[in-house]
Amino acid sequence: MKVISRVLISGLFFILPVLVFAHGVSDADQQILSNGGLGAYIYVGAKHMLTGYDHLLFLAGVIFYLSGFKDIVKFITVFTIGHSITLTGASYAGIKADEHLIDAVIALSVLYKGFENLDGFKKILGTRSPNLLLMVFIFGLIHGFGLATRLQSFDIGTDQFLPKIICFNIGVELGQVLALIPIVFIISKWKSFKSYDSFYKAANFYLVIAGIGLFIFQIYNYFQVH
Amino acid sequence: MAFLVFCSHDMFLKLDTHYLEPNSSVEIQLFNGTFSQSDNVITRDRMADVSIVGQGQRTRIDSSQWTERGNTTILSLTTGPVGTWVAGVSTLPRLIELSSSDFNDYLEHDGATDMLQWRIENNALDDDAVEKYSKHVKTIYQVGEAITSDWQTALGYPIEFMPLNNPGTLHAGESFEVELLWNGEPLANQLVYLGSKESTHSHDHDESGGHSHESHSDQGITTFRTDDAGHMSIPIPDHGIYFLKTIHLQHSTEPNITHESNWATLTFEVGHSHGGVAHGHDHTHDEDHDHDHGDEFPTTLFFIGSILIFGGLFLWFNRKKS
Repeated sequence: MKVISRVLISGLFFILPVLVFAHGVSDADQQILSNGGLGAYIYVGAKHMLTGYDHLLFLAGVIFYLSGFKDIVKFITVFTIGHSITLTGASYAGIKADEHLIDAVIALSVLYKGFENLDGFKKILGTRSPNLLLMVFIFGLIHGFGLATRLQSFDIGTDQFLPKIICFNIGVELGQVLALIPIVFIISKWKSFKSYDSFYKAANFYLVIAGIGLFIFQIYNYFQVH
Repeated sequence: MAFLVFCSHDMFLKLDTHYLEPNSSVEIQLFNGTFSQSDNVITRDRMADVSIVGQGQRTRIDSSQWTERGNTTILSLTTGPVGTWVAGVSTLPRLIELSSSDFNDYLEHDGATDMLQWRIENNALDDDAVEKYSKHVKTIYQVGEAITSDWQTALGYPIEFMPLNNPGTLHAGESFEVELLWNGEPLANQLVYLGSKESTHSHDHDESGGHSHESHSDQGITTFRTDDAGHMSIPIPDHGIYFLKTIHLQHSTEPNITHESNWATLTFEVGHSHGGVAHGHDHTHDEDHDHDHGDEFPTTLFFIGSILIFGGLFLWFNRKKS
């Protein structure tokens, strides 16, 4: 029974983003942005972070690797700096990517983190994994570019353009903090269980599979559209 | 009271799909008749206004861009840059003389039942009519994926449906919020009909309770009534091409004219989510579109798949360990 209950709890861990994801919000978001002030951009930014499971899966992968609160703060800060640079810069400069291609690269970041956590570089490639702090920063830049592409799919007008982008970014950070609380809690708690090793392997194999699946899905959609 | 909705004198702007590629050729058809069949063409001299709105600009369309094919008038365009676009046509008024019975039939069949009710209550069913009528039609379409606010632009027609949310980004199960304007002001307590491409083949159905303030549906045609602020909230049950229509019919004070009507329609498509907007490539498949991240995994599939994969892996690793 203990095993089953842990499977259910961990299942909840993985579907948290999906549960909050199940809202028809694209037009509602546009309405909120059109009718609200800068606070609306904070709200929509937070919602996009909370409901974007690719971002959350990557963050979960990062948290798995870390031990201790200081480590978590350090890596999340680097990730935040990375995605803030591209989110703000690319949105302000009007630079965006094809959404399927950028989402495909973000999916690869999920795959990467699972692969690295499973010690794939050493076991399969026979090499040391790249510096994680640097990789988190690079992936932060990529995730930020994806968020910038998403922000630019909205009609945000030209009035208060930079404050709107900054508020969206602030919302993203708030959403990230909110999402991290249950992720960190569940992973930390599970470390005291005997089954943590199984949980660790299962979760990271899942990240690899999810990364591959999301990558194939985005590439398929890219070729469907083009 | 019962009435039939024939929709046989309506005007619509129609597209095969309302999700278009940038800078591509498109034909916007002007149907005069029903939503499924045009009974006659509209000559250019009847058109008071033909406009396209996009990129924050309104462009009046030259008559040379119209052609005719059978009973359909066709506007050939090259779509502009990405964004949400609006096309509109407004016709000049014309007169029609109708015998009392023909007038009553038309009121019944086209859904102008408030006037029919007035004639019943005021013992005026035997009065012949001379009606001045004009029609004002709009369509909203999406070019590429970037949403622009042009769908909010009013064309200034005497009667006009004004969306309060962009129908191009709606999903099945959501509501289309609309305001109806009469001479630029909200029009309260006005009957409005919602139909779809699929619903227009059934015209002889009987609807009762036409004076209820609640909406009701019969074989695909749904009746609504604007509230005191001229608003309607219209649930969209499924993907597809839809139309709204209304006839504002009132007694006339002009000499030798008994009534004046202004007809309005709005056509739009609710498609699939795609990068913040929907798209209309396939109107039949049944994915879960309740999300805002474009073509992501359908939520239910992702949910079940994640549970199964993770649960299976966990049990397998746990068993292997023990």
